[in-house]
Amino acid sequence: MSYLGAVIKRELKQMFARPLYIFSSVVIMLISMFFFLTVMKSGSPQNMPIAIVDLDHSSMSRRLVHEINATQSVKVVAVTATYEDARKLMQKGEVYGFLVVPEDFYARIGSQRRPTMHFYVNYAYTVGASTSYKQMLTMVNLASGAAHREVLRLKGLPDRQVMNIIQPIVLEGHLIGNPYANYPVYLLTTILPGILGIIITMLTIFSIGFELKMSTSLKWMHTAGDNYVIAIIGKMIPYTVLFVALGVSCNIILYEFMHFPVAGSHWMLALNMLFYVLSTQCLAFTFIGLLPTLRDAISVGALYSMMSFSLSGFTYPKMGMLPFVQALTNIFPLRHYYVNYVFEALMDAPLECMLPQFGIFMIFMLLPLTIHKRLKGAMINLNFPKK
Amino acid sequence: MKTRLNKKIIHLIQDLWMVFTEELKRVFRDPGVVLIFFVAGLGYPLVYNFIYWNDTLTDVPVAVVDLSCSPESRRFLHLWEATPDIAITHVCTSMAEAEDLMRRQKVHGILFIPEDFDDNLATISGQSHVSLYADMSSFLYMKATYMSANMVMLDEMHRVQIDRYQRMGMGPETAWALVQGAPYEEVGLFCPSGGYSSFLVPAMLIMILHQTLFFGIGMLAGTAREENETLYFLPGSRRRSVFRLIFGRAVAYLVLYLAIAAIDVLLIPKLFHLPHVGNPWDIMRLMVPFLLAAIFFSMTVSLFVRNRETGMVTLVATTLIIFFISGVSWPQASLPEAWKWTSYLIPATWGIHGFLHINTMGCTLLEAAKEYYALWILAGGYFVTASIGLWISGLIHERKKKQEAITE
Repeated sequence: MSYLGAVIKRELKQMFARPLYIFSSVVIMLISMFFFLTVMKSGSPQNMPIAIVDLDHSSMSRRLVHEINATQSVKVVAVTATYEDARKLMQKGEVYGFLVVPEDFYARIGSQRRPTMHFYVNYAYTVGASTSYKQMLTMVNLASGAAHREVLRLKGLPDRQVMNIIQPIVLEGHLIGNPYANYPVYLLTTILPGILGIIITMLTIFSIGFELKMSTSLKWMHTAGDNYVIAIIGKMIPYTVLFVALGVSCNIILYEFMHFPVAGSHWMLALNMLFYVLSTQCLAFTFIGLLPTLRDAISVGALYSMMSFSLSGFTYPKMGMLPFVQALTNIFPLRHYYVNYVFEALMDAPLECMLPQFGIFMIFMLLPLTIHKRLKGAMINLNFPKK
Repeated sequence: MKTRLNKKIIHLIQDLWMVFTEELKRVFRDPGVVLIFFVAGLGYPLVYNFIYWNDTLTDVPVAVVDLSCSPESRRFLHLWEATPDIAITHVCTSMAEAEDLMRRQKVHGILFIPEDFDDNLATISGQSHVSLYADMSSFLYMKATYMSANMVMLDEMHRVQIDRYQRMGMGPETAWALVQGAPYEEVGLFCPSGGYSSFLVPAMLIMILHQTLFFGIGMLAGTAREENETLYFLPGSRRRSVFRLIFGRAVAYLVLYLAIAAIDVLLIPKLFHLPHVGNPWDIMRLMVPFLLAAIFFSMTVSLFVRNRETGMVTLVATTLIIFFISGVSWPQASLPEAWKWTSYLIPATWGIHGFLHINTMGCTLLEAAKEYYALWILAGGYFVTASIGLWISGLIHERKKKQEAITE
């Protein structure tokens, strides 16, 4: 036991001897949280710039511009006289979309030959484009609904009936798990744990690889009474504590302070985080064990963890990927973290849904056993290239 | 006089050539850098294209609860099933059953049709309510289920309206004119599929160039600092010349990366059917200032990298921030002012937008002039910071050496 204490003490000394450890964990995590929580503070995109090509020149078309400007999500930044002018603006990226109000449009509403209104949207900027498209669509439907209503009123129908006639079917949307379609809820709940995953991978590889590179691993083994298991566990404990603390603080900030929705139990989310941290740590440990040369393991670790975001399937779902890519998603702890997050926080699913993921987490945790001989050899014999 | 100037120029060119060739050798001798520059620089574009191969999400599994069981409700469901976006995989008899399926993520949407659906439609002024429960775990599920259900709803609504107006005594044409109060049509310019990969992958290609350069250069600088201080001196000598070192190295990286960029931004979009309507020559002309800005930016930051690996350990996690701040996945127009200005300092921001404008939206280089010149300005600015930084850290290094010599 005293050996274990000695290794932990030695590791803590190293952690505080160089700013690198605290900077690349605590500081980077804080910067990331600060960045992502401030950058999307509006919740959904607002004031998306659009243009209107007004060929109608009526008071009605001018009113449409005012009505659109009164909404939060879009803003008319230009009213142009020709289609070509608006297209140029969109091509330069100054507007995400534009609406063409054709000649005599309002004068001919309700007549039988009306020219069609066109929305042009730039899907090279999908989020901006679909936000402005949705808003323009709503405005035009409101305008046409108003005209429609007028005609029926003139026929002497009572208001309530008019509303029902105009809209015989209503589609009521219920957004499960994120009732206001809030972007931070959708993105940060996986991005921030993903960033933590990068930090864990990099620091775990670095803390062990640096000993091998600097040939200090013999001293490290010596401190542990030449016991490999004590050496490893003692070295990992301070990091485990640090990473779990970072992960849980991340949960607390998102679910307690920011009040991101949690349908199930906060404790289960914490447990999910704990399993995620441990399995990421074990996986990174396996990397440095397989490649006991710091620079190789670091590069591989970095290249691997950058892919975890796309492959976790939190933006583009797994079901849309090619079969072999779907299989590949399994080797990323972030994928299993995300699946469990959805089950617990959004769906309040029964426990048995989460068990497979917890099982896979445990397989990750067993991986270090596969490389123990190789790493132990590297630590004692220092038989791998250092530079 | 003239010969002395000539000699100077010859010396300069000799030195630059030496720095240039030495740097190329260092790149190819270093498996770590080869891994980042070539394996990641050329492999990531393939990986991301495979991940987002399908572009759009189709056949999202949904459950339906049809309490009306009428021809009208069956027609509605039939029309919905006919859309490519969803596939009705479960027909449930109660909401509880459907909710359980959603909870277990067997389905990502539920459509509920109440008992009185057909009765309300049959009367002249009744209103039917249909409920869609959309899984928000990915916005793409919601988009697939909600948009398709909405489209079916609108079509059905128009059909019912026309029917009602005719029953109210209108002729079919008048009824149709009234229903289509303000006809509209959506046109997706530039990126007609509106798919996920054609929107995200082009931006990612530029990010890959930027980040692989950043970490590769960081690794080279860290190594040079660890081994024999070659960071500060001309190859094989103790002479320091900031301009020759920075310029010679930058040209070495530029030559390599023009080749990598040509594959990534010209060949890959063609190969994977991403949008590629731009003029290839214009794209490569944009790449020159973009790569130079990225190179000098990386050289500036790499001055803070003490060891070979520390750059990566600390900064890999910031890749997400750099991508997010560029204003592609989160619209630039919605970035808070302070972050917008920060983003202007990062070459990737201008590189991505310039590339999207030319490659995806078919601008000429002239029409993307803002991005093009911004990149030249950044390249110039970071050239200055990299030079000053190298000069200062060289001085510090020399002083340390002298002190060590004295104490010895």
